[in-house]
Amino acid sequence: MPTQGSNGDRSGVSRRQFLRRAGGAAAGLSAFALARPSRSVAQTASPYPEWIPASTKPAKRGGTLTRASAWDPPMLDPRMTQSVGLFQFAGLTSNRLVRYTFADEAAGPGDMGLKGDLAESWTTSADHRIWTFKLRQGVKWQNVPPLNGRELTSADIKYCFEAYAKEGVQTFNFKEIEGIETPDKYTVRLHMQSPNVFVAQALAEPISIIFAREVLEEDGDLKKRCIGTGPFILKEHTRKVKVVLQRNPDYWDKGRPYVDEYVILSTPDAATRTAAFRTGQADFIHVASPSEVEVLRKTNPNLVAQSYFNALTPFGLAMSQDKPPFSDVRVRRALAMAIDRQRQVDTVYEGHGILGWGVPYMYYQDKAPTAAQFGPWWQYKPAEAKKLLAEAGHPNGFSTTLFYYEYFPQMTSQVQLVQADLKKNLNIDVKISKLDYTTYYGRYVDPKWEGLSWGFQSGHAVGLDERTYQYMHSKSTKNFFRVNDPQIDELTTKLRQTSDPKEQRAITKRIVDREFDQVLRLWMPYDNGFMIFQPHMRNGAALALRRTDAYGSPQIARVWLDK
Amino acid sequence: MYKYVIRRVMLAVPVLLLSSVIVFGLMRVMPGDALTVLMGESGNIGEKELAKLRKDLRLDLPYHEQYLLWLWQMVSLSPGDSLFTGEPITVSLRKAIPVTLELTALAMILGLALAVPIGVLSATRQDTPSDYAGRMVAVSGLSFPDFWLGTLVITFAAIWFKWIPPIGYVSFWESPTRNLQQFLLPAAVLGFRLSAATMRMTRSTVLEVLREDYVRTAWAKGLGGRIVVYKHALKNALIPVVTVVGGQLGVLLAGAVVIETIFALPGMGRLTVEAILYRDYPVVQTNVMLVAATLVTLNLVVDLTYAWLDPRIRYR
Repeated sequence: MPTQGSNGDRSGVSRRQFLRRAGGAAAGLSAFALARPSRSVAQTASPYPEWIPASTKPAKRGGTLTRASAWDPPMLDPRMTQSVGLFQFAGLTSNRLVRYTFADEAAGPGDMGLKGDLAESWTTSADHRIWTFKLRQGVKWQNVPPLNGRELTSADIKYCFEAYAKEGVQTFNFKEIEGIETPDKYTVRLHMQSPNVFVAQALAEPISIIFAREVLEEDGDLKKRCIGTGPFILKEHTRKVKVVLQRNPDYWDKGRPYVDEYVILSTPDAATRTAAFRTGQADFIHVASPSEVEVLRKTNPNLVAQSYFNALTPFGLAMSQDKPPFSDVRVRRALAMAIDRQRQVDTVYEGHGILGWGVPYMYYQDKAPTAAQFGPWWQYKPAEAKKLLAEAGHPNGFSTTLFYYEYFPQMTSQVQLVQADLKKNLNIDVKISKLDYTTYYGRYVDPKWEGLSWGFQSGHAVGLDERTYQYMHSKSTKNFFRVNDPQIDELTTKLRQTSDPKEQRAITKRIVDREFDQVLRLWMPYDNGFMIFQPHMRNGAALALRRTDAYGSPQIARVWLDK
Repeated sequence: MYKYVIRRVMLAVPVLLLSSVIVFGLMRVMPGDALTVLMGESGNIGEKELAKLRKDLRLDLPYHEQYLLWLWQMVSLSPGDSLFTGEPITVSLRKAIPVTLELTALAMILGLALAVPIGVLSATRQDTPSDYAGRMVAVSGLSFPDFWLGTLVITFAAIWFKWIPPIGYVSFWESPTRNLQQFLLPAAVLGFRLSAATMRMTRSTVLEVLREDYVRTAWAKGLGGRIVVYKHALKNALIPVVTVVGGQLGVLLAGAVVIETIFALPGMGRLTVEAILYRDYPVVQTNVMLVAATLVTLNLVVDLTYAWLDPRIRYR
């Protein structure tokens, strides 16, 4: 139910997960005695491609696409939840004003280009406070009551954005809109409270879907019906059983979608999802490790695998940096130098993972950062770490606590490795508390906790503003890592006022450098995973930050079955 | 007899009341509430909005008022709506109960069909290879946890037979074939555990009964082995077995949680576990009370079954 990172398969423990967890723990213990593995690279080369280009064959119509999903939509109201359970299909029943590129039109997985969705074009004023969107003409709501295929107009957009601002989980973002004008049926003009060059990006986020005013007015909420202008009509939603989406014959993007039906089967157990793929009950799945792909290949030799590469990590050590000892930058730096992150990649993620960083790299450089680029404090140097901690007044270490929720089994191995590293290298005693999700989240978002937490940034939004200002500005409600750095505040604010792409990249790089220098968020390694497709599935490739089975689900409108 | 039943029913009232206090209290002691989950990880909502939502969900009421309100809803058989989905709990239960009932009933049938014959066989052929084999099956059933066996079964079914039960629950009335395909395997896994305990109990009680004087007399009269065992010994041996089976119903319901998750069945187990994780108080409280009431009733049924099995037992 909660929003997921790209490895959000939270439910159940499969045999494989169990073995891996045991293996991870064993690896953590044995690692003390073993020579450290090579640290020259953050990830070993995968035999599978990182990118699957669009099919060159003419698309075929028809068929049913099926997926076994770990997630259930808690409800259908996009105002009240950002759960991946809902947004694994809500982007198919509804459109946004703007969208990110789809896999079949992208140059590669890191392509973060914007395209019009319901908006045909958009412009912004010189001060980036007024945004004007020109809507496509002739877009129709789905032909189901109470909309009955009426035309979408600018009034619908105004109503929807005002509703988002009024109530629910998106109020913070939409309250930045000071006023909305609708000069004609096909023009929407947004007046922002402050200059922001990233408004179009924010409206392209998977969660910014346009819902139907009639449904909200009739039902009082959007919990039961999900009607939009999207390529699929929600035919059936039986909780804990399945979601059935039927092709919208009146979709404005003529010819699409290609498949007649997309069925999402609620399958909380990972082993069952794998079995469903093996037996052809599912057309695509995500698996975490190279060994899982190899095991699958034994029964399904013709499968198509995409080696997914994460553009960021959703998890890291959050430190109560507003209180001693973590308010001292030397302590934070000592911790960063005392944790062997490469070992986590090598053991826990079988070499197929990233060392961890918080801002998607494509916003400031072309290639994923190397270990050296993180700077001096992020290199594994236990002796220097100990010295630095002594300088900070803790020559004999100290005791602290760490609470976490196990989003996936490997996380427990990572937590234990961190605990072992800090004890061995800095004599810091870390008392670990493993909590259930609600307890963890309740404690984490309350800015009173002390010590350490395994922090997160959620996966529902991919924009640069989201990953900088929203998560790092001291006044933002999403500043879970409790960053309170005047330079970061200044840079993130400046970034949202900078329209020149080159300058944006330069500022973003400064933000990242500052973050690493001050160790404001201690990012931890994360797996890359694999998207696995049946051989007949076309155009399903996952993009950076937009996995086809999760928040990148709108891609399904471009998928076709070569049967 | 009637007085006994009425007395037992009356005794159930304080038991259920106590259960209601415990489940209500435990849910409130757990940190976080439904809103915490509802808001997900958005971080996008202010204190004011949270307070409003809390009020909408009546989570702002004092605990005693919340308890009394819920108690009234339970007594009036209208347990309210889910905090999450807004769906009436009675509707959720109407969907989930048949699934769990079918699963546990099938598990019970399969479990007993396996346990009683093997138990009897073990007892009548004590210390022979078939006895050892039967005992091994029983020990395996007790040793293998449901989650392990279920995962193993589904994984190897996929690898060896290229088949697993079809995912996406279909009711028996909609498609009996598809429904049975979905339920037989999970029921077998669930029933295997039940069969283990029952098998061991059947074996030991049959062994005990076979040494009774009246059985010896039956043998002495020249009765056939089948008649001695099945007509004279088995019925008397079944009384402790019925007790064990009654006690195992709670275990079956607990096992159903895991099995429903592995085999993607939308039963009571999944409904309750999800509700606990999401702090969906009314759903958890209603489900737990329903299970408590079921167990109380089943225990009563077990006690009454004694009288049928052993006419010497009479209730005063």
